[in-house]
Amino acid sequence: MSDELKLINSAKGGSVDAFTELVYRYREGLFRFLLTRCASHADAEDVLQDTFISAYRYIATYDPQWRFSTWLYRIAIRNAGRLRKDNVAELGDVSDDSSDPLAHCIAESDRHNLWRNAKRLLSDEVFAAMWLRYVEDMSIRDIAAVLERSSSWTKVNLLRGRRALESELNDETQNPGSEAYG
Amino acid sequence: MDKLAKQLREDAANIDAEISAELDSRIRASLQNVKPESSRPPAARPPWFWWASSLTGVAAALGVIAIINLDQPGPSPQLQVQEPVAHIVVPEFDLDVEAAMLTSPLAEELARLQADLKRAEEAVRNDVRIDF
Repeated sequence: MSDELKLINSAKGGSVDAFTELVYRYREGLFRFLLTRCASHADAEDVLQDTFISAYRYIATYDPQWRFSTWLYRIAIRNAGRLRKDNVAELGDVSDDSSDPLAHCIAESDRHNLWRNAKRLLSDEVFAAMWLRYVEDMSIRDIAAVLERSSSWTKVNLLRGRRALESELNDETQNPGSEAYG
Repeated sequence: MDKLAKQLREDAANIDAEISAELDSRIRASLQNVKPESSRPPAARPPWFWWASSLTGVAAALGVIAIINLDQPGPSPQLQVQEPVAHIVVPEFDLDVEAAMLTSPLAEELARLQADLKRAEEAVRNDVRIDF
């Protein structure tokens, strides 16, 4: 039995300490992902907190056939989507470049960060698929489970996302002074 | 790893995702107040539980039937259908006209008309014979 599975089983038994250890393992990667998905830094923090609370409350339903990160990301995406719906319902469309947490969390010297382009070019779901594939090293099956999509959809959209980013990357190589990435 | 994948990984690492001490304490405090929900099925019932449950149900049903029947006060009263009352008042006309008495059947009436016709024909023949 892996170390992670032991922690999960202890958490299922009610051990907060074991779950806190899992939180420490996943919180940074999950928070980085949420910063790309939420409308503000504060929203990303709220979603992160809600995600871990939900995960701990319903940890008895976790199926070990899936990676724990797959389960966590699925909860996080649902929570982020719910928060976005609430924000739109209360305040209208709150998307605003000045409050984009990703823009604040990327250093000024790293203006050509590909994930900023990805956010501009790709839909939320394709962006998430690309992130889970290239940052979290998830399999197609896991990505499809997180996004609640078919494996075919995941494969096709990963390819499309990749082509779109490669095209941007080539343009940037050919025109290094271009402001297209700003 | 190809160039794009490598750059995506590096660029993701460049996103500052430091967890503040405040957020860390918020999460830990929240977890202390959460109790994991159990997904275990309810405890198995002893075999006599289902017999007792069935008997209780039957007894309750009989009790309800008995109460309903006891509460009824004797035979149900028969419905008394009242005779419809004529509310239409026919006004009395003072026309001073005798009502036509159509007591004869149509056949008799026809015979009389035919007899009248015969009489009229004979009268005409007599008049012609007189004239010529």
